[in-house]
Amino acid sequence: MIPELGLVFLIISTVSALLLSFIPLYAAYTKNAYLFSYVKTLTALMTIAICASILCLLASFLMDDFSVAYVANHSNTQLATLYKVAAVWGSHEGSMLFWMVSIAIWGCIIVFSPRYQDRLFIGRMIAILAFVIAGFNLFMLFTSNPFARLLPNFPIEGRDLNPILQDIGLIFHPPMLFLGYVGLTVTFAAAIAALIGGKFTQQHASYLRPWVLMAWVFLTGGNAFGSWWAYNELGWGGWWFWDPVENASFIPWLVATALLHSVVLSQQRSSFRVTTLLLCLLAFSLSLLGTFLVRSGIVQSVHAFASDPTRGMSILFLLGVFVCGALTLFALKANLIKSKSDFALISRDSLMLLGNIILLVAAISVLLGTFYPLLFELLNLGTLSVGAPYFNSIFVPLTFIAVLLMGAAPLIKWQQESLNRLYPLATLFTLAAIIGVLVAMQTRGGFNPWVWLGATAASWVFFTLGYLIFSLRSQGAVCITKKAAMLIAHFGVAITIIGATAVSNFETQELLRMGPGQGKVVADYTFVYEDTVDVDTKSYTAIQANIRVTDVDDNLVGYITPQRQTFKTNAMEISKAGIMRNLVRDLYVSSGQQLSDTEYLVRISHKPLACWIWIGGLMMMLGGTIAAFSALYSLKRQRATVKSSSSQAMPKFTEELA
Amino acid sequence: MIIASLNMSRLSTFLAIILLCSSSLSADAVVNSVEKIHYTQDQIRDLGFEIAHELRCPMSVNQNLFDSGAPIASELKGQIFLMLEQGESKQAIIDFLVQRYGEKIRYQPSLSMATAALWFGPILLLFGIIGFAALLIREQRKHQDTNGNTYE
Repeated sequence: MIPELGLVFLIISTVSALLLSFIPLYAAYTKNAYLFSYVKTLTALMTIAICASILCLLASFLMDDFSVAYVANHSNTQLATLYKVAAVWGSHEGSMLFWMVSIAIWGCIIVFSPRYQDRLFIGRMIAILAFVIAGFNLFMLFTSNPFARLLPNFPIEGRDLNPILQDIGLIFHPPMLFLGYVGLTVTFAAAIAALIGGKFTQQHASYLRPWVLMAWVFLTGGNAFGSWWAYNELGWGGWWFWDPVENASFIPWLVATALLHSVVLSQQRSSFRVTTLLLCLLAFSLSLLGTFLVRSGIVQSVHAFASDPTRGMSILFLLGVFVCGALTLFALKANLIKSKSDFALISRDSLMLLGNIILLVAAISVLLGTFYPLLFELLNLGTLSVGAPYFNSIFVPLTFIAVLLMGAAPLIKWQQESLNRLYPLATLFTLAAIIGVLVAMQTRGGFNPWVWLGATAASWVFFTLGYLIFSLRSQGAVCITKKAAMLIAHFGVAITIIGATAVSNFETQELLRMGPGQGKVVADYTFVYEDTVDVDTKSYTAIQANIRVTDVDDNLVGYITPQRQTFKTNAMEISKAGIMRNLVRDLYVSSGQQLSDTEYLVRISHKPLACWIWIGGLMMMLGGTIAAFSALYSLKRQRATVKSSSSQAMPKFTEELA
Repeated sequence: MIIASLNMSRLSTFLAIILLCSSSLSADAVVNSVEKIHYTQDQIRDLGFEIAHELRCPMSVNQNLFDSGAPIASELKGQIFLMLEQGESKQAIIDFLVQRYGEKIRYQPSLSMATAALWFGPILLLFGIIGFAALLIREQRKHQDTNGNTYE
């Protein structure tokens, strides 16, 4: 009964989404204020129905209703309740539903928030959001219904949730990434609304700003948690592999980063409005392309958990509809969007523009590298792989330039800067470059150019931002707190760069045969394999190696216990690495295949500054969150001042409609 | 090559050492002719890991040889270390494995006509977009000058 109710709710939300995607546009076109007043009601109906629908799915999971195919395939009576909840978005159908629910809720909050005065713009925006929801809902209803039943012969016990997914990561990583995509969908809808209306004012840019920031924060979180999860769980010791699935979420992040800075330009300087709109369209299109890449299974990846080739075509079709429609509209209406460009070659505006271009080029290069093997095969040129060495050699230099701009831009004035103010920057850069050389000489093989790039970039950021704080000091703390969000996020970038450079270039690792009683010294730590024990838990059995770690003075640091787990439900085998971490280094041990009765292939790594990668990510998120909330707050304040100065806000809106 | 044809083993050893120290490129040339490289144990480990990171495991989904736990990956890692012990250069080992397992094993595609777009695309794109943006802004300026500052 409950699954059927869920399906009915899904259909109700689809129908109301279809209506909602049509009514505001028609009402605005015919200037029918009465019809327009239904926007709120329909939005509420759509949102409530789709929320009820996902609650029905959740209920099916909690009640172990294995007659529902999705539940039977991804849950089990033995599964912990927390993972039953997380299993709702653990695979294709449920994650689609979760995505649409999030769009609906986000849209609903915007429609009901009094912050946004331009009702016409908001109405058009919710129409586009509803159109997206309707499209995906129809896709769900026709090709991947989460409520499909297995009747009459339903299984008594469900297949288990994929063991790799049974981790705290499943609770954070996918929802964050989806919320990021949702944010991009909202900005896409806003861009389309602006294009339909034929104007993109400063007010619209200030609406867009908190949404872009929040989308960016979620995307940052999604990528950072994903990398953290893979590092801990997949047992291959990598934190980033340039795998197609990683790239699929990284490309939208890069574009969203460019968009974030472009919105600032549009809002504060009334410039680059067309660029901002185009980036909105691009970010959403690329997030859909990423979804297609991951869901269709056309690429080989270690991270794909919800792929099915049959769905590829439907997603490609939706992608085609949205992207072609959006770009056509853009081509027709972009000339109506006016913005000014009154800045000199040396100005913050031009640096930010250049930075955005570099981010965009980086995104497209990653896209090119990801799709190249596919195109290559499609054109019958043979097979090839494009992997980490390629991406690093393209991406790292681009990032270096982007970071140089990132450090310099806050020190340079808007509009125009005189050349002689650049001298302190040159001094700072020389200092940073010298530090870079000193660090790069520390590698085993002598001078390492990659280390130089990383170390110079990181110290450049610290110097320039430090100098900025120093020069703002006379203007009081208020001035610095205004820039706090930017400072925290940019420092976060530097911290991540330090971590990434250190782990990639200063890692010490050994791959060896180990059994009880054997030991090895790696980076001044002594690892002694003490014994092998069998571990039995509710969901898996494991062979665990107990490895004692002592430091250079023979003091006990602790025990690392890598496991090879075999899951009871589906006999799947995974390797769970043992990691001992602190701020300075991670000690990473994973145990591989059995080589003899007592010996295993063991991998030991000393990874300096590994956590800094994610600490930097958290700082970026913190900076973004502060910026998003201050943008929302200033919207609220703006509204308050508008109200107090003239109470004509409402008449103006009806005037515009009538 | 000239050194090899001269066949003066002592001189060539001496030269090979100098070349090895000066640049790895010329060292490869010498190795291909007669001499083998003598690595230290640490060099073998670092270079072996480096090569294993740049090659794809033929068995697993998308993992490099180093990370993969598949039996074939262990075997190939063994092969790499064996060849390093024999004094083969990095390039020679990669070429050998590419010959055996095809171009797909290489994560860094070689430069050819077919991969030119991959390697030069990003650079062209960067300058293309910058040039386009510059043109667009100039155009916009001209417009602004004639029409006055009309923006919203």
